[in-house]
Amino acid sequence: MTRPFEGISVGEELPHLRRVVSPDDVRAYAEAGGDRNPLHLDDAFARGAGFDGVIAHGMFTMGHMAACVVAWAEDPAAVTAISANFRATVPMGQEIVAGGRVRALDPETNTATLELWVSSERGGETDWPIKRGEATVRLD
Amino acid sequence: MRAVNPQAQGTTYPDVEFVVDPSRVAAFRSVFGQEAGIPPTFLTAAEFTVLPRVIDDPRLDLDFSRVLHGSQEFELARPLREGETLVVRARIDSIKVRAGTAFVVIAMELFDDGGELVARTRSTMMEREA
Repeated sequence: MTRPFEGISVGEELPHLRRVVSPDDVRAYAEAGGDRNPLHLDDAFARGAGFDGVIAHGMFTMGHMAACVVAWAEDPAAVTAISANFRATVPMGQEIVAGGRVRALDPETNTATLELWVSSERGGETDWPIKRGEATVRLD
Repeated sequence: MRAVNPQAQGTTYPDVEFVVDPSRVAAFRSVFGQEAGIPPTFLTAAEFTVLPRVIDDPRLDLDFSRVLHGSQEFELARPLREGETLVVRARIDSIKVRAGTAFVVIAMELFDDGGELVARTRSTMMEREA
């Protein structure tokens, strides 16, 4: 059941969704998503490309962001659009946090526009693997 | 120094079929801890039926070892249905080079067996300077 439109207000925050990214997660993602780029699977290759080791797929980070939206909307089919710009890479063992807020509501179509982000703390600094994500969600 | 060939802008690729395979959907769901339905970013699996062809297109001349995913957009006209077969139509929408980085935008449209548009995707691939 999709979350009801009534009772949602502009500015409402989505509950944060946290996850520590492991090599097993990224391998499972590579199989399910079909992206077997060695940058995500082979440490030696990733080092050759200038990283400290393999990094998560951008689509892994975006999938995590989408999971945050689905948890809030209570229905994956409610999401009619979702987008992201990838701003920082995510190494293995890194915790990522997805969040967002309701930016606009359209009562004619029971649609909410969400602004979304994925952050990560590294060495006392905040990175933004996704800084300005967006989704459109059709509620009940 | 080499970069992608800007003349490849506008290239269209032959249609490819994509089955919304329930076991693949289940694998995708399990990666993201979802219990039911089709995760919205599952559309990426459809893109990867065509992307190898784009990546290996000698006319585009992309060096995939230097490629990072810049941005991604998905738009659904209706939810996907498990088990259905979709047709994926891909084209290179634009190629721009800024400060040594090439931005290649690949746009795809997915149609159902009735010819109705089901979804659109846009991926920006960034080829970093060598």
